Amino acid sequence: MSAVLEVPAEAGSPSRGGARAAVLALARFEARRLLLSVPVAVAFVGYVVWIVWHGRNTWDGYPALQDADRATQNMPMLVGLAVLLSANLAVLRSWRHGTESRFAALVVSPWSRTAAHALSVVPAALLTAVCVAGQFTREALKPGAVGHGSPAELLVGPLTVLLFGVLGVLVARLVRSAWAAPLAVVCLLFLFVLGTGPSGTDGVSWLAPVVTEPSTKTLPSALLGRPAAWHALYLAGAALTLAFLAVLAAGGRSRTVKAGVALSLALALTGGIAQAARMSPSPELTAARERASVSPEKEQTCVERGGSRYCAFPEWTARTGAWAGVVDEVRSLAGGSAHGQRLVVRQRLDARYGLEGDAALAPSEAAHQVTVGTSWGGNRVPEFSTAVAAVLVAGSEKASGGMCDGRMVTVMWLSLSWQDDPLGALRRVRLDDSLSGSAVVLSPTDPLTMTEGQTDVVRRLLGEPRAAVAQRVKAHWAELTSPGVTTARAAELLGVKGPEKADSCEE
Amino acid sequence: MRGVTWALAGPVRRTLPWRALGAAGAVGLLIAGVPRLTGAQPNPWQTLVLLRGIALVGALGLAFLLDDPARHVTAAVPTRRPVRQALRAALVAPLVALWWTAVLLLAPPASRPPAAGITLEAAVTCVFALAGAAAAVRLRDEPRPGPGVAAALLVSAALAPLLAPESWALFVPSADERWAAAHDRWAVLLVVAVVGWGVCGPEPVARRRRRATAARAAGGAG
Repeated sequence: MSAVLEVPAEAGSPSRGGARAAVLALARFEARRLLLSVPVAVAFVGYVVWIVWHGRNTWDGYPALQDADRATQNMPMLVGLAVLLSANLAVLRSWRHGTESRFAALVVSPWSRTAAHALSVVPAALLTAVCVAGQFTREALKPGAVGHGSPAELLVGPLTVLLFGVLGVLVARLVRSAWAAPLAVVCLLFLFVLGTGPSGTDGVSWLAPVVTEPSTKTLPSALLGRPAAWHALYLAGAALTLAFLAVLAAGGRSRTVKAGVALSLALALTGGIAQAARMSPSPELTAARERASVSPEKEQTCVERGGSRYCAFPEWTARTGAWAGVVDEVRSLAGGSAHGQRLVVRQRLDARYGLEGDAALAPSEAAHQVTVGTSWGGNRVPEFSTAVAAVLVAGSEKASGGMCDGRMVTVMWLSLSWQDDPLGALRRVRLDDSLSGSAVVLSPTDPLTMTEGQTDVVRRLLGEPRAAVAQRVKAHWAELTSPGVTTARAAELLGVKGPEKADSCEE
Repeated sequence: MRGVTWALAGPVRRTLPWRALGAAGAVGLLIAGVPRLTGAQPNPWQTLVLLRGIALVGALGLAFLLDDPARHVTAAVPTRRPVRQALRAALVAPLVALWWTAVLLLAPPASRPPAAGITLEAAVTCVFALAGAAAAVRLRDEPRPGPGVAAALLVSAALAPLLAPESWALFVPSADERWAAAHDRWAVLLVVAVVGWGVCGPEPVARRRRRATAARAAGGAG
């Protein structure tokens, strides 16, 4: 009994430090409840499961970290929505249970309690930061990783959780009804998550917490031109503004609160205006993009490997070994002068449209030069392999583009036979994923075409023992690679049944 | 008994959570009207997602329908709880139907999915919300379980498309050939939801008392 009486006696003379300690204690308590609430717990479990499951095969094991950082941004929005819901219900708990009037007897005023609720969102944001860091580190540790991540892009996930959570607190202070948060969640889902909201790359679209670009191509990190740092500042300012507004709405009228509202609003506005101003790329960025697209040789560093030259943008030099592996495999299967042919493998990209659009690369006209793109792994390997084979057979990418005769059989066999699963690679390198009929064959630049007859012959060749076919390829190299050789003749030279129908590209 | 039910209609109408229902309805109509207001031309899949989301908004409003601050008082009235819950639902049903019709009419006509199918999906979502509310009333002592029900509904709505077996094909686009078969499954879900609501409806005390009465009657007869 005496203990019960002592508590109000102590609370009767609140000191400034005591109130602060009370706010922190309440924030700790609410943070624990928030993290253990069903929606947030389910969201975090789902998020971690997604990270583990999704991270196994991202970018086929060859991530570019300037893409991997942006890939951490979308899922935290769902976590943020769960935090919004739970934080809102937590603020309204005392009102729903009719204990609001009892709290009036405490030292902690309503606005201090609101501040505690706003603070209670911070651990959820920190936990998100841990998850984001884990996801990114996992990509960065993959042996095939290249490029640089941006800390500002990585901050977007945790800041989104903070923003949404604080929004939940503010909504609870403005609308004292439990239905407001679920409806707000659905509206935010529509605006930001489901992709039904405004899209585009103007200043307004950057007001959304997560800005996704229409293009999925990989660019050097210096050419991205995303105002990531300003966006992170904008998000931080917006979250702080909402938090101070919630405290203000709960009756906090102290000078700190007013100054906080003004300062955080200034932060958010600075970030918002600065990111909108950087929407149109600066002249330097445009020039750099132009230079990288039109004359990449000025930007690249070249290395010699196994008698060929590999030129890559600085962030990709670690990947030249993987390219050299493919070139060596294909070249070892070729005959004649192609067997020892020195190739130039040049990395090319079209950055002139930034991330707003994709542009196909024009085939290179230089002799014995092969183009390689910025991504690697998965389908990119057989595509590059086909381009190498086509250049070895036809002499240049430009010449291989119009190739429409029996040489295509040799190209595809060179490209595929050394791979682990040649038929699977054939299927993947063809646009329609088929193993019969005519089809378009993808390559880093202009695609090639295979007729129905060529497809049949290549499939039969891939069924033959590799060493025997390789011997025949080398023996008949000159005839197999002479322009105008028919598919039937190529099949005859290589010792398999020819096509049923006459060979013509118009099929 | 019927007279009592009719007499209850007025008071029950006054205790309905009109603000939650009104807010949900207004938000739903707002979302439905956005394409028209902005002149956007959403594709069929976007319109379908939009309508599914609006159905979810409506269901979130209905999750508050069984909130009754006076439930501990009304537990003693002779009209049983299923009747009172059905009365609540019956009072809002015409409005919900009107609202959904308005939503369908507001949706961009060019990309609107088949009305019957999407209406069935909306009905399942709404009845699941009511069944969830009834279960919360049944299993907990909380007079206003609406917020928890709404949170659970949101979480399950977010998880359902991720966790539902691929073979059920519940969330297919309207052009998909599995659309008809999927809606047979939606109909089964509707039955499940209605049965769930029916099971959770009665007051547990009343049931026990009935069993006791029946046992006494059997004893008396024997």
